[in-house]
Amino acid sequence: MAIEEARNLHVSDDHHHDASHDDHHHEPETFLTKYIFSQDHKMIAKQFLFTGMFWAIVGAFFSVLFRMQLGWPDTSFPFLEVILGKWAEGGKISSDFYYALVTMHGTILVFFVLTAGLSGTFSNLLIPYQLGARDMASGFINMLSYWFFFFSGVVMFISLFVQTGPASGGWTAYPPINGVRDIAVNQGSGLGLDLWILSMSLFIISVLLGGLNYVATILNLRTKGMTMWRMPLTIWAFLFTAVLGILSFPALLAAVVLMQFDRLFDTSFYLSDLVIGGKLIPHHGGSPILFQHLFWFLGHPEVYIIILPAMGLVSEIMSVHARKAIFGYRAMVISIMAITVLAFLVWAHHMFISGMNPFAGSIFVLFTLIIAVPSAVKVFNWITTLWRGNLRLENPAMLFSIGFVSMFISGGLTGIFLGNSAIDIPLHDTYFVVAHFHIVMGVAAFFGMFAGVYHWFPKMFGRHLNTTLGYIHFYGTLIGAYAIFFPMHFMTGIPRRYARFDNFEFANNFADLNKFISIAAIVVFILQLMFVVNVIYSAFKGRKMKSLNPYGATTLEWTTPVEHFHGNWHGEIPEVHRWPYDMGVNGREFIPQDEPLAEGEVSHS
Amino acid sequence: MATLLGIIILICIILVVFYVARTVELTKEIQGDLDDTSKRSNIQGILLLGFLIVFFIGIAWSSKLFLPRMIPTPASTHGLEIQKLFNITLFFTGIVFIITQVVLFWFAFRYREKKGAKVFPFTHSNMLEIIWTVIPAAVMMILVAKGMITWLNIFPSTKDMPKDKLVIEVTAQQFKWNLRYPGVDGNFGNRKIDQEHVGIASKDQWWKNEFGIDWDDSASHDDFFADTLYLVKNKPVLCKLGALDVLHSFYLPHFFVKMDCVPGVPTTFYFTPTQTTLEKREELSKLPEWQKINLTTGAPRYTTFMYELACAELCGRSHFGMQKYVMVVEQAEYDKWVLCHTPAYASVKKAKDDAMGIKPVETAVNDSMKVTRTDSLITTIK
Repeated sequence: MAIEEARNLHVSDDHHHDASHDDHHHEPETFLTKYIFSQDHKMIAKQFLFTGMFWAIVGAFFSVLFRMQLGWPDTSFPFLEVILGKWAEGGKISSDFYYALVTMHGTILVFFVLTAGLSGTFSNLLIPYQLGARDMASGFINMLSYWFFFFSGVVMFISLFVQTGPASGGWTAYPPINGVRDIAVNQGSGLGLDLWILSMSLFIISVLLGGLNYVATILNLRTKGMTMWRMPLTIWAFLFTAVLGILSFPALLAAVVLMQFDRLFDTSFYLSDLVIGGKLIPHHGGSPILFQHLFWFLGHPEVYIIILPAMGLVSEIMSVHARKAIFGYRAMVISIMAITVLAFLVWAHHMFISGMNPFAGSIFVLFTLIIAVPSAVKVFNWITTLWRGNLRLENPAMLFSIGFVSMFISGGLTGIFLGNSAIDIPLHDTYFVVAHFHIVMGVAAFFGMFAGVYHWFPKMFGRHLNTTLGYIHFYGTLIGAYAIFFPMHFMTGIPRRYARFDNFEFANNFADLNKFISIAAIVVFILQLMFVVNVIYSAFKGRKMKSLNPYGATTLEWTTPVEHFHGNWHGEIPEVHRWPYDMGVNGREFIPQDEPLAEGEVSHS
Repeated sequence: MATLLGIIILICIILVVFYVARTVELTKEIQGDLDDTSKRSNIQGILLLGFLIVFFIGIAWSSKLFLPRMIPTPASTHGLEIQKLFNITLFFTGIVFIITQVVLFWFAFRYREKKGAKVFPFTHSNMLEIIWTVIPAAVMMILVAKGMITWLNIFPSTKDMPKDKLVIEVTAQQFKWNLRYPGVDGNFGNRKIDQEHVGIASKDQWWKNEFGIDWDDSASHDDFFADTLYLVKNKPVLCKLGALDVLHSFYLPHFFVKMDCVPGVPTTFYFTPTQTTLEKREELSKLPEWQKINLTTGAPRYTTFMYELACAELCGRSHFGMQKYVMVVEQAEYDKWVLCHTPAYASVKKAKDDAMGIKPVETAVNDSMKVTRTDSLITTIK
């Protein structure tokens, strides 16, 4: 009832907009209100995209630095001293800074790039566009969401330059190594970690503001005729991503705030019986495992926060460029729901050997392996979508979508090993895990994001990306990413987070492979720089979009005019009459969602 | 200077590729090639199929290269069970991997865009969807059941463990392992974690130590610390794990043993080694990978093979250096090895006597304790 009322309210609000449309249009927009403190979802999407791209370059550059250490542990690179100063004396990265690089790489990529950069960009861009809304439920809160993210980034960036170095105890920030504010225990656990915690707190506020807005918009601001079952899969994915974020990020906030109490005010949430420098420190009664529970209660949903939007984007793009409905739309939606629910029941599979009661572990095995079922359904449905389609492979967005499915299969299957607690014993914290999560949520999510950028670039900038560069980008990244991560499966049992391997006979057997992986990583990094050049160049000078709907897509975003103004549609918002996947039916290549049903035609949903 | 040069070269490469790509694009636009998408889709379809072939060749080639280099078969009873479970999972996932990747890229190739081609509007099929929900679910249930059985067998309750087992107390700290054996009596002395017992020993507080070992408990008097983790073949061992400062993880890669060491939370791992170090070398001597000459020793690699103990939880700047050797021996050799050790109490006793002004009584026993204290591995084996 409430939703119905809100929708009516919105419709009447639209009429109000229509009446006062011209005044609206002529409101003086200054540079500040249009580009900086914009409340327009399209502009905020671009802000998220470019901030995400900045952080992606920083995070990926860090990985290049530590790959140089792993590939050539005994070689001195004088330029490292030039850029890193005391952290790379003599051209060799100190082990303290190695761990800072690893920690920052994880934090930046997981939170700033694959959460804010991916979900932030495309939720903002597509939710109002595809639902037929003039903007988010609250443009102001949406703006705040971006600016909290921005300042969280500023704080994190400052932390890179403090004298004691940035946080270096792993992106998971486990205590006690992070829980004791003592740089003798760990170099980054001083001011660096204070700033890390502050930055993460601001980031969580940003995610919550954004997420609440996304949910409110999706539930209330759908245009007339846009029932839930007529929403494109992108929107379903963003909805559940937002729900996951809203329910799980507060746990991380609690976790890190309590840790800061331990660090600053001598509380004992996570600390007990610590002997540091030969002395028993007074914290007593806490449990480091409690932090791990709180962290992974966010941490596991977080990987779905990263992958669900990519899944949504790929489903939509694949269907458009296959010129064919997505196969099993409802099954896709139910799979997303199932994944969302199960995402909250599997967190302790990161903790099988943390000292948690082994009996609890066996329960988490059950739920973890069940997640493979909806994931498998999604994969089979994507593949069936390709079957007997007319695949427009010339668009890099389609190529990246196919690459996404390949990566998701490769990385997803290794999850079945890791999710089984017994097999996890030898694999835990080894390169097998590194290979698994980088392929399934790192590379796959990036592929989803690239697909999205190539696909909706004309919508954002009115111009196309350079396709030839797109092909180089795609094949280079596909082959490069497999070259980096596939061989890591053979390093099963070799511990991760080792700055060098020569202290151990069992681990010191892959020097040539490590070099190979490092070279591949550097090549892939350069390819991404080319993509950035392509984005910036094409935004200003790219080939102009010739028609409003260049791909023959059915969804509403392609009905909006090219020029940007706050409100998306001149005149009335289109009404929706059908589901978004009427393609190849009634003898037509595609039928837009806003086209009324023909006489005698029955709506799909 | 070299840095600058490198950056300039890098920028040049990016710019050259960029300008070439731009020219290609502009030429195509002028020729009107961009409107005919099917031509380019055709090439992409072929390239995707090509990728599939390259991908599978890459997998085969890297397997041939690196599989022999992986950590050898586990030398513990539960490790062999895990290996079995691993192989079953590999069987199922391997089948799915090959089928789905082949079908994915084959479809991409087979159904690449052709001018005027009609698509088959196939929106859903309950039958198909039920099939590919139920089959994965069934396979998962098999894996869950097998996994749970294996898992719960690895962690038996204390009352199910045999009396005749080795108990070792492992205390990790930045960045070393402390391996404490219970000595001849088989019992550990108590540890008291409080300000009274934990600390650095001094002249007035001779009893203090980092571990809080209570020297008033006579069970502690024959406990000793070892440099190498000695285990007995086919004898179950219960490792009582702990850490002083931060998280560590007790990792024996050759036995498939891994368990975090958590300050304030005692953890354990119970397992049975099945091969002595010498037997493992014997086994490895048959593998070409291990017959290769080790460049530092000049001997075949298997001759210097050692089991190792590593840390598998990020613990700080020297995380990658927490190494200890592990020796698995026959009972008789183990008994001899135990006798070689001086109890930790010996030096404490001396400090205590000094503090109380008691002159040490020189005894024959004390002398023998001093000289034979050695566990240099290579000499023991020879």
